[in-house]
Amino acid sequence: MTAARTVQTDDTTKPGRLAQLWLWSARHPAVFPAAMIVITCAIIGAVNPDFLHVANLFDILRASAIRGLLALGVFVVLAAGGLDVSFTAIAAFVMYSLTLIVVNFLPGAGIVPILACAALAGGVLGAVNGLLVNALRAPALIVTIGTQYALRGALLSFVGTALFMNIPGSMSAFGQMPLATVTTARGLTVTLPAYVLLTVIVALATSWMLNYTLIGRAVFAVGGKPEIAARLGFRVAHVRIFVFAYAGMLAGIAGVLHVSANRLANPFDLAGTELPVIAAVVLGGARITGGSGTVLGTMLGVILITLVSSVLILLGIPSSWQTAILGGFIILAGLFFARIDRMILK
Amino acid sequence: MPELPATRGTPFLETRALHKFYGGVHALRGVSLTINSGGSYHLLGENGCGKSTLIKIISGAQPASSGQLLIRGQDMTGLDPIAALDAGIETVYQDLSLLPNLSVAENIGLSQQLVESSGRLFRRISPAQIDDVARRALSEVNLPTDPEFLARQIQTLPIAIRQLVAIARAIASKAGLVIMDEPTTSLTKREVRNLISVIRRLQESGTAVLFVTHKLDEAREIGGTGLVMRDGELVQQCDVTQASNAEIGLWMTGRELEQGRYRRSPGTPPAPLMQIQGLGLKDAYRDIDLTIGAGEILGVTGLADSGRNDLAKSLAGLAPPDRGKVVLEGRPLDPSEPASMISAGIAYVPEDRLTEGLFLEKSISANVTMSVLDRLRNSLGLLNRRKARALTQKTLDELRIVAAGTEAPVQSLSGGNQQRVLIGRWLATSPRVLILHGPTVGVDVGSKDTIFRIIQAQAENGTGIMLISDDLPELLQNCDRIAVMRDGAVSRIFTAEGLEEETLYNEIAGSGGENAREG
Repeated sequence: MTAARTVQTDDTTKPGRLAQLWLWSARHPAVFPAAMIVITCAIIGAVNPDFLHVANLFDILRASAIRGLLALGVFVVLAAGGLDVSFTAIAAFVMYSLTLIVVNFLPGAGIVPILACAALAGGVLGAVNGLLVNALRAPALIVTIGTQYALRGALLSFVGTALFMNIPGSMSAFGQMPLATVTTARGLTVTLPAYVLLTVIVALATSWMLNYTLIGRAVFAVGGKPEIAARLGFRVAHVRIFVFAYAGMLAGIAGVLHVSANRLANPFDLAGTELPVIAAVVLGGARITGGSGTVLGTMLGVILITLVSSVLILLGIPSSWQTAILGGFIILAGLFFARIDRMILK
Repeated sequence: MPELPATRGTPFLETRALHKFYGGVHALRGVSLTINSGGSYHLLGENGCGKSTLIKIISGAQPASSGQLLIRGQDMTGLDPIAALDAGIETVYQDLSLLPNLSVAENIGLSQQLVESSGRLFRRISPAQIDDVARRALSEVNLPTDPEFLARQIQTLPIAIRQLVAIARAIASKAGLVIMDEPTTSLTKREVRNLISVIRRLQESGTAVLFVTHKLDEAREIGGTGLVMRDGELVQQCDVTQASNAEIGLWMTGRELEQGRYRRSPGTPPAPLMQIQGLGLKDAYRDIDLTIGAGEILGVTGLADSGRNDLAKSLAGLAPPDRGKVVLEGRPLDPSEPASMISAGIAYVPEDRLTEGLFLEKSISANVTMSVLDRLRNSLGLLNRRKARALTQKTLDELRIVAAGTEAPVQSLSGGNQQRVLIGRWLATSPRVLILHGPTVGVDVGSKDTIFRIIQAQAENGTGIMLISDDLPELLQNCDRIAVMRDGAVSRIFTAEGLEEETLYNEIAGSGGENAREG
């Protein structure tokens, strides 16, 4: 009986110009961190023209490499509707134990097998998260808080607490391998390390996987509506285990990178760095509720965080202020993406 | 699995003595039926009679507890969703089963990729193939096929379009059987006609269609076999075009349903209870003058944009009017917030029970007692649980709500029972005036009958009732008077007794009258 308001199919499927802009932004959330990066760079550049130098770009990229790997893992878990806070504990556990084993038993091991072992070990630890989330039907956040503490405790109780600097030669060589170098006006030589490439490759591979494989689309399907994904025949349990294993794998690799870059293995490292990584992913446009986000957005989110937290030092801004500015960006991101949702959702 | 040719004489699908237990509940009791290729079938029955369970088993979403399922003569008992899809069984659930955050194209085309990989996930997908499948399916249901539409996220589309996308997905693969669970609920008349022509084309190509529906008119328009279920059993098979509403109602409920008027109009005009005087709200309605007498049932109807919805919300305190006043037993009311209207004795049962009315995951008891908690206090000011349970049990009994107990979550109930819980909550407040907005939307005939009897009983007790509805037979069966709204104003008030549906309809549609009848 609701006559006269016959839905004009053609009209409702052809959005107006403004609506199209919102729809476009929803599909390309990277536009937000990109805009924030441009604004931040413009302001810093205006105050301190020295900033706009390739050397600083190298610094930012280097400082983003490890956080970038971790963020990719978090993003994949978030896209599937989960949340992982145990990845730093996995990274620390893998990096310290593996470095210890290699130094003591296989001092001649090459970097490729070391990275492969780290990926495998991290993947196994991550898969445990996934299995627990499935088996306990518990919220991923709670489960991974648990495994984070358990892993950190196990590392410090059973593996060791002493930091050591005699890391394997292959690792330290990998950490220092240059990709490019520039000399600043003041005669400082700044290197772009080769391991940055590893993050770039992982990012490209992750993006390909998410967009062009069934598991990738399944991640978003499960993140969107798990019960419907299951009804359509997606194996939700497999997807959950996969995303946590993937995050664990990237955490393992990031751990080895961390040791290689710093040339020391400290079991207390990385603890407490979860939140900036999750913040980077959210800045990149992934909703905390799952089912959205892009790899590009995530990577730009990481760069934005690095930019704010490391480069503001150049301006002589105290670190307490950096935290406040970061907080402002995150709130802005929340507003922006909530606005998009309000504009496009029916 | 390769497509097997349907041998002549072998039905597409056959079930033999299917049983299903959920815990202690015996939901299906030996259902045996046959579905032939190219046929159309209408699964009819009250909410909670086992229809949903049956289609879940056929579509592989749940296994049967016992019994057999044969597809093209082969035993496929215990199949999973992918095996069901592979065997050519497509289901359009009432919630549409669309993934809100994926694109139109993916929602249509991903299933095929999943079936081709037998559910294994570590496979490449072919976006070109997905788009191809989507374009073909979309053109079948007359939706656009441009790249922009293909890339639209489902959650950005209106519900009617989503419905068509879901149907497009079901017919994308050459399905042998398409199951549709109330597919026309959110469609307009024009879209329903569009759907029926799609269904005819499907049938011509040999696909069987199984509808789960409450709308007998539409079932008759499509034609085919009616499968009537009651209490988990298949009680009757009939030709839907031949069986009368009364017959089907009897099969579904096992009792005679009132086909005539429920209302026994009182001899003398009732004393006025609530008066609406010159009520107006900008861009919604204006100059509304209505009176509801004690024990009177006043129907209010009109098109969706006639202002009746806003009027209802205003009376509930949800959309404060900017002009006029509402007077209850001589006292003016304050319609600026729901709390003041509730305490004055106005109860509003909203149209959309799921989003506006019920707390689905909470217990029946919590839902029923919510509005009367202050009456259930003990001397310490704490909730007296025994009283709360007693009140809930009384509501369950009086409204004939079928539930596992007072503490069962509302979402475990069928639609008709949920609606009764909602009505029960407001009856618990002992209202002076009860405003019911579309009380039987999405409710089967048996539940409708129960709800009508509740309404009549309330009126007998002297409650003033405003029944806002689209359902003309419902209004004619229940009301004393019916007010028709058009373009924000009351255009005419009829006496319901002896009123022709046609007359009422013409008044609603307006003088032009060519806005064809909807739903």
